[in-house]
Amino acid sequence: MTTPRTTFALPDLGEGLGEAEIVDWHVAVGDRIVADQPLLSVETDKAVVEIPAPHGGRIAALNGAVGDIVRVGDVLVEFAEADAAPPDRGAVVGELPQAPPAPPAATPPSAAKPSSAPAIKALPAARRLAAERGVDLRALGGTGPGGAITTADVEAAAGGRAAPGPGFEPLRGVRRAMAQAMTRSRDAVLPATVTDEADIDDWARETPVTPRLIRAVVAGVRAEPALNAWYDGASQSRRLNPKVDLGLAVDTADGLIVPVLRDVGGLDLAALDAAVAELSGQARARTIPPAALRGATVTLSNFGMIAGRHAMLAVIPPQVAILGVGRVEPRIVARAGVAVARRLVPLSLSFDHRAVSGGEAGRFVAAVIADLQSKS
Amino acid sequence: MSELTLVEAIRQALGRAMTDDPTVLILGEDVGIDGGVFRATEGLYQHFGGDRVRDTPLSELLISGMAVGLAAQGFRPVAEIQFLGFSYPTLDQLANHASRIRTRTRGRLTCPMVLRIPFGGLIHAPEHHSESAEALLAHIPGLRVVIPSSPAKAYGLLLAAIADPDPVVFLEPKRLYRATREAVADDGSPLALDRAFIERPGADLTLVTWGAMVRDALNAAEHLAAEGCAAEVIDLATLKPPDMATVLASVERTGRCLIVHEAPRTGGFGAEIAARLADQAIFALKAPVRRVTGYDTVMPLPRLERHYVPSPGRIVRAARDLMAFQ
Amino acid sequence: MRTTVRFPITLTSYLDAEGKAPGELPEFARGPAALVPLYRAMVLTRTFDEKAIALQRTGRLGTYASALGQEAVGVGAASAMTERDVLLPSFREQAAMLWRGVTLVELLQYWGGDERGSDFRGPRQDFPVSIPVASHFPHAAGVATAFKLRREPRVAVAIAGDGATSKGDFYEALNLVGVWHLPAVFVINNNQWAISLPRREQTEAQTLAQKAIAAGLPGEQVDGADVIAVRDATRRALERARAGEGGTLIECLTYRLADHTTADDASRYRDDDEVSRHWHGEPVARLRAYLGRQGAWSKAEEEALITDCRDRVDAAVEAYLALPPELPEAMFDTLYATLPADLGDQRAALAAEVELGDV
Repeated sequence: MTTPRTTFALPDLGEGLGEAEIVDWHVAVGDRIVADQPLLSVETDKAVVEIPAPHGGRIAALNGAVGDIVRVGDVLVEFAEADAAPPDRGAVVGELPQAPPAPPAATPPSAAKPSSAPAIKALPAARRLAAERGVDLRALGGTGPGGAITTADVEAAAGGRAAPGPGFEPLRGVRRAMAQAMTRSRDAVLPATVTDEADIDDWARETPVTPRLIRAVVAGVRAEPALNAWYDGASQSRRLNPKVDLGLAVDTADGLIVPVLRDVGGLDLAALDAAVAELSGQARARTIPPAALRGATVTLSNFGMIAGRHAMLAVIPPQVAILGVGRVEPRIVARAGVAVARRLVPLSLSFDHRAVSGGEAGRFVAAVIADLQSKS
Repeated sequence: MSELTLVEAIRQALGRAMTDDPTVLILGEDVGIDGGVFRATEGLYQHFGGDRVRDTPLSELLISGMAVGLAAQGFRPVAEIQFLGFSYPTLDQLANHASRIRTRTRGRLTCPMVLRIPFGGLIHAPEHHSESAEALLAHIPGLRVVIPSSPAKAYGLLLAAIADPDPVVFLEPKRLYRATREAVADDGSPLALDRAFIERPGADLTLVTWGAMVRDALNAAEHLAAEGCAAEVIDLATLKPPDMATVLASVERTGRCLIVHEAPRTGGFGAEIAARLADQAIFALKAPVRRVTGYDTVMPLPRLERHYVPSPGRIVRAARDLMAFQ
Repeated sequence: MRTTVRFPITLTSYLDAEGKAPGELPEFARGPAALVPLYRAMVLTRTFDEKAIALQRTGRLGTYASALGQEAVGVGAASAMTERDVLLPSFREQAAMLWRGVTLVELLQYWGGDERGSDFRGPRQDFPVSIPVASHFPHAAGVATAFKLRREPRVAVAIAGDGATSKGDFYEALNLVGVWHLPAVFVINNNQWAISLPRREQTEAQTLAQKAIAAGLPGEQVDGADVIAVRDATRRALERARAGEGGTLIECLTYRLADHTTADDASRYRDDDEVSRHWHGEPVARLRAYLGRQGAWSKAEEEALITDCRDRVDAAVEAYLALPPELPEAMFDTLYATLPADLGDQRAALAAEVELGDV
């Protein structure tokens, strides 16, 4: 085998012909050809002649276009260097994407932090229902297989409400909570109410009312612990609560909420004042956590700050009592046979008569009044 | 109107199609003089002659391939492969040609062929004669896969398959071939392809199945009704393309779905339905979507096959598990 | 012991490697004028072939299977067919397809990856290219059955390579052609190579033609570089078929002068010297030499033909490159006669993706 040359020139075509016109190329740049393979056809005076390759190789360049006149000796074809073969593409059809050079070793990503909260096991239909009915899945226990929350569980939590009619918007959030609580009250409690008044005319000016009211409730509970109990109608059993966790009704833009002040018996008036202020602020800012809305042992509702004198309030089970306070204002009363104007606090004690007797209620009210009527 | 078994209904459909359309041909092994090993073509050779009912040499690949050629020339070949277990050589012709000749010629050549194949087990047959591999076929784009579950369905669906301008694989549940009889009028009425049938309505649970399992599902539904669970049984009939509208509407109502098939579990067609339910019925689901299927084992020989094929009992137990999700 | 049957296999050639005709030519070839169209067709095929390779190399065509050196098989076989016969080609039968009326643009579309290239405007019943090896032989058996059923004097002609004769499809179809006496002609383009497997390792049979005997059919070999021999053998086989005498297997002996496809590198497995040797006697030069010697082909005609072929191919390339692409949704539109409702969503999803322009 002859050593491959890198160019091929138009050979002598014989018969004294020095030039020829290129009629057609038969190979293209990049082709790998073999010896004797026709490279191009040229036209001489006599004939159209195919010119074969003298050896094999890969075409690097073709010189001359169709129609050009080339002379004997003109370089027609340049062959690539022997080792210029393109790398094996490794496929018989198509084109395999080639891997890019390996990037520098990347630092492995830190292990993903495990998600903090375990997934709630609720089925899709249950989730959709819960979203529609405003039920918090986190607060539910599931009765389905494996503890899954089922649509039945959601229905039960939603109170088995029917779908709202056209134009009706289902209640949500605070309003909804109130509707649920009041419904439970109506269904369970046997309400009774006793009303009275306390004379606070002797209080120092600017005395904050709410802390005095709270202290008075504590006094009432000390006199009659029955009013600080929880009653379970299903089992007809009662729990006397040792501490007074006072539910304080607060009216907010969203509606009524009743946050709980824990163990108010242990707080003096200044501490009570601060606690009430903080609680009111939180309530208006809607930053009160759900836990702070639960577990009241007795409730105080100072509705008089808005309007009203006496009222029959709703007792929220399992509590058995709620003290309502009307508008503080001067009124004419009889003192020692004489009509005088005194600042009075209207009081309404609503209680669950299943668990509290009239006498107990009365003594509670008397103790409340006695505490309120003391000068300080 | 005579009462026909499923295989007799098939024969009636073939006879009707051959009578009404001279381009319909039948070919396959032993389909002519012998009338088919299951007698599905009994008497057709004698009636229509050897030009139109042709006994071929033993080569499944050839049978399916020549059907492509015949169909391209304007005939409607109805080719029989004796058992699904022997049909794998036809996959090349189905996947590479029958299913795609229309699209790859942009409609210039078409393939209105039907490949009839008995499938499924519980007939105490030797090896390879009890396969269920409908999922392999349903995976091929451009193909239809149709499975009857009763004599009437067999008649109507086969007529529709033969009349369809595109290739159809018609899988016949052989254990139903002679299992029931029903009145099937030879009126030439096709049933709709691409449509599922609600065999039994119910509000508590959707049972989706096809072929021989439809009867077992109905059987299970009876048991479940006595337990207070109203199961809706859907016969998918056309696996590809599936009538998901019917299935979805049912699952929207019931919230629970159990898919039943004899074929092995992994990659079975039930997985396709389950995936579509996860996509489109997610909010309706009260319970997980589950499948009752054959195991991922080779179909056992007759001694063990009844343990392989889902029984009504297995279906009932699986249904109870779903009903526990209230 | 006695011999039951004996089967001779013949090899026919009319033009030798230098283009000389030592013996008597078949009748159709006696007037050289009849051969000129065959020569033109082979040159056009080769011109197209060269261009296709160049296009692939510049990324404007996909993987392409060259027919270099085998032009006489396709031209010879197709030119013996009538318009009403049906051709079933493999993936290397550009010569036959062009003769049958498939356009240059359609070929470019096919190899360029556009399905519209198989929607032939010309031969409406010819099959598209069959890529799976030998799978079109059963199709040919079916087509031939259709002709026989309708009692039409038409023949199915399938062309495939030497590798195809090892496949079950081939044997099964051949067997049916035999036992059903079908009007089919199977032409084997034995170019000696099935990608990297040389013919001698494909089968122990001394000839591929003799495989016909197992099916009860006549089989013969012809010199595949001699277009006259190919044409004549095909003509005789077609006559047999039309006369109801059944099928024939014709083995054309050629050589694959190019790589298997543009993605193949044959130097990995075969010797360049062998390839060089086969350039000698290649079909186009052979017929050119014969026609020249007969005074039936002049320099002017050669030049004009080269120019004409080049112009036609260039025009086709221009037209192909200018074709607006199909909408991607086209992949759905001829999948079924009517798109099933179930697929409507998918088609719409694709259309939406295309709209986004984020592929």
